[in-house]
Amino acid sequence: MNLFKLLFLVLVISVPAQAKDIRIQLWHQMIYGHRPVLDKALREFEKENPGIFVRSTYRETEELRSAFQSAAMGGGGPELIYGPSDQIGPFATMGIIQPLEELVPAGYIEGFDPLAVPEFNDHHYMIGDSVGNHLMLIYNKKLISQPPKTTDELIEIGKKQTVDLNGDGKIDRFGLVFNYTEPFFFSPFIMGFGDYFLTASNQPLLNTPGVTGTFQFILDLRDKHRIIPKECDYETAEALFKGGQAAMIINGDWSWGDYKQAKIDFGIARIPMISSTGKWPGPLVGTKGYSLNVNMQSPKHQQAAIKLLQHLTSEKTQLMFAEAVGTLPSNLNARNADVVKENALLKDSAHIMEVAYPMPVIPEVRAIWDSLRTQYQRLLANSQTPAQAALLSQQQAEVQIRDMNEVIEAGTEGRLLQIIFAALLLGALWMSRSSVVGFFKGFKGPQRYAYYLMFPAFLAIFLVIIYPFFYNIAISFSNFSLKTFQDWSIVGFQHYRAVLADPKFYSLFFKTIVWTGVNITFHVAFGVLLAVLINQVLPGKALWRTLLIIPWAVPQYITALTWRGLFNQEYGPINVFLQEFLHLSPVQWLSQPFTAFTACIITNVWLGFPFMMIVALGGLQSIPHSLYEAAQIDGATSWQRFRHITWPLLQPVMTPAALLGSIWTFNNLNVIWLVSNGGEPGDQTHILVSYVYKAAFNLYRYGYAAALSMLIFFILVIWGVISLRGQYKKEMDL
Amino acid sequence: MMKKALSGAIILLFSLFSVYPILYVVSVSLRGDNAFQSRSLEIFTSSSTISNFVKLFIETDFLIWMRNSLLISAVTTLMGLTLAATSAYALSRYRFRGRNFMLFALLATQMFPATMLLLPFYIILSHLKLIDSFWGLFIIYSSTALPFCVWQMKAYYDTIPRELEEAALLDGCSVWQIFYRIILPISSPALVITALFSFMTSWSEYVIAAVVLQDPELYTLPLGLKSFQASLGTQWGLYAAGALIVSIPVLILFIGISRYLVSGLTMGSVKG
Repeated sequence: MNLFKLLFLVLVISVPAQAKDIRIQLWHQMIYGHRPVLDKALREFEKENPGIFVRSTYRETEELRSAFQSAAMGGGGPELIYGPSDQIGPFATMGIIQPLEELVPAGYIEGFDPLAVPEFNDHHYMIGDSVGNHLMLIYNKKLISQPPKTTDELIEIGKKQTVDLNGDGKIDRFGLVFNYTEPFFFSPFIMGFGDYFLTASNQPLLNTPGVTGTFQFILDLRDKHRIIPKECDYETAEALFKGGQAAMIINGDWSWGDYKQAKIDFGIARIPMISSTGKWPGPLVGTKGYSLNVNMQSPKHQQAAIKLLQHLTSEKTQLMFAEAVGTLPSNLNARNADVVKENALLKDSAHIMEVAYPMPVIPEVRAIWDSLRTQYQRLLANSQTPAQAALLSQQQAEVQIRDMNEVIEAGTEGRLLQIIFAALLLGALWMSRSSVVGFFKGFKGPQRYAYYLMFPAFLAIFLVIIYPFFYNIAISFSNFSLKTFQDWSIVGFQHYRAVLADPKFYSLFFKTIVWTGVNITFHVAFGVLLAVLINQVLPGKALWRTLLIIPWAVPQYITALTWRGLFNQEYGPINVFLQEFLHLSPVQWLSQPFTAFTACIITNVWLGFPFMMIVALGGLQSIPHSLYEAAQIDGATSWQRFRHITWPLLQPVMTPAALLGSIWTFNNLNVIWLVSNGGEPGDQTHILVSYVYKAAFNLYRYGYAAALSMLIFFILVIWGVISLRGQYKKEMDL
Repeated sequence: MMKKALSGAIILLFSLFSVYPILYVVSVSLRGDNAFQSRSLEIFTSSSTISNFVKLFIETDFLIWMRNSLLISAVTTLMGLTLAATSAYALSRYRFRGRNFMLFALLATQMFPATMLLLPFYIILSHLKLIDSFWGLFIIYSSTALPFCVWQMKAYYDTIPRELEEAALLDGCSVWQIFYRIILPISSPALVITALFSFMTSWSEYVIAAVVLQDPELYTLPLGLKSFQASLGTQWGLYAAGALIVSIPVLILFIGISRYLVSGLTMGSVKG
């Protein structure tokens, strides 16, 4: 009997296991504190729906966006994607997410706050699980009992709170801090000064008194009233507020958890009313939510994904989030629950939201932020007036939106090009037939060892590089962009013409050469110097050697950010050093174009010299010691020994390293991107390759970016040929 | 004596230069308030805590990431080293059809901006069903590190006198024997550097790993660390603590192999 029961049990268990399991993928960008709650919700879903398994993958917001684009492009990607509402504009335009009205039960969408189900082109592409993401004034209750209601009060309180506590001439506490270089963080003021940044037909509206007023207002806070730091990015603002060194901060609802954790007694309020206009600044309020990929493996996956979407936006799940992390539910039923109603922060937040504006979801908003950022940062560096900045923002936004939405039609040039390509390909095949035959014959010929030795490496490189390379050539001649994401075609030389006609290309090219030249010079000079010094008999040789390779050993993605912190104007150690030991005035490293570029170079020199040092250390081993002994007998000075023995014999090893190093430096995106925060101030620290990245991933101009990449490639090919010619000559001489 | 003091001073200065930013990372990792910046220049304060390190090992999948990274880096290093040692030898010693082209092609692979290769990489890998597979990473990593490795090995082989091989040939060694018994042992300094480089390429690489690996179970260290980062809500303490631990294996590896870097010198001085 027992055995029978057991058998039955086994059968029951194994039947659903035999039925094919469905695996659903969810990509999201939830912050660290929210992820355990998501996990719990997913495990509950799996329990309720046996046979469906969900895997969640975290990516940072911008990476999520580009990774999803690539994956959807390649016909795959996760079934569900979670992110901020402003991603639905681009995704829907590219045609990689589905409209949801027909897929969820009738009336489902009406159960949500309209802010959580934004419309784009008359469709709902996303269902949000919370409403918020809006900016507000957060104040430290220990320092301020009543938050300012107007900007006049803000300035008054701010001045009182901005103090030098220990009398060393440096300000120890600021009245107000916020990430004021970023348009999202100053955008509420535009509404406070009586304007909006979009027209009714979604065109940019930036050359207005509202924008000029905002610019002037922030300049005044910095220079006239001096209640905000001279340089302040998001991390600086956070550190100051958390450390009790700032009385107020403008930040969003996502930061509450962090402040609680840092044990700050804080209150929230509206951003103060603009005294001169009597209007409240309007923070943008949006949602984060779930969208469905157009690529589904099967109808079953689609159904499971829809089920999951409903589970994750359900009252129950939202209340779980509200309870654990204090988000405001988007589900209208959930709003009435006690956890939500009795949350004091959410109550204040609701009051703040009364003056908020819905976050626009159209893709053009990205171009507007970008133009505002560029011109505004030039304003902050005192290189133009508020009125000029507003005018130029408007012009730049118009150009960027035109470029972004441009669809180049495939004309005769495109067809001609296709024919030429085909002809070239056939011609190349015909021309190379003897080489191919020679190649295969080579495996039997007298040089067969060379062929055996080379073949695996050749194969690996061929596999990895050739296809992507030709793919890029095709894209560079195509109209691939935001609007033609799914069906692009070859159109001709337009992008090459656009790149070459743009004066910006030449200035970037020049800057890239300076960048590469300076970096490589320092890398090699420091590397060789240190290798030679270490090689002398010093006590603790191994220790020094290890200390000196540390910059190479610690991952770049954190050390580059660290350098950004070191360059901070207010309290970065570099400025402290300049002031205390050299008695110089502090340098505004990151907000002036020249110094910001210098900061990038210093960082990259730091990152790169250990590598050259190691190469040189290896190279020194091939120099016979007897040469030095002979030189010593001849009475050569140490400089002569270096000049006539070390340097010439080190060259065969250093030259290829330097050549490759120059190519890597030319194409080094990371350092520029991380240290200057993507080209700041005002897009003036870009080199060619960071500009490619920006064009492709920020502005969706893939064709343009590919054409620029091809030009970079050609520039480097020419550089490579020139440098190698020298190398070959030497080989011939030998 | 003056000279010794001067070179000592220079080395000391550079050591400070290279270590200081890392101390800053150390101080971030020891802070409890999850902030990346701070006004105090002290590294250890009264509120210093090792809770981030404890959390890293207990609450996160750090050990799984470590295992994955070690596996990937070890295989990549081995593959890269084998391919580079052999093909560089061919390029150094033989003059064959396509040699110059091959040398240049190796260099050319580094010339294309890597960001534009991501989309095509994804497309190929998904056609080959290599998404979420270590094989995808093995292939890409060992071939992206290859150009440097080959060039570096070739440069070193070039400095080895040919007379050695000619003598061995007269003694009746085969081509393979010469390579294994004579050339490889002499080239240990270059092999060490090449191995270190191969290892580093895969150990700290993030961008390609993010394209290939989507399953959190398969994450490498950089991918895992990156998951602590969010645009406006990074877990700085964990991120910094993780980054420090990530660099330890590299340092150990470097210390372990550095005796090969000095071998040539000691041999010479014994002779003298």
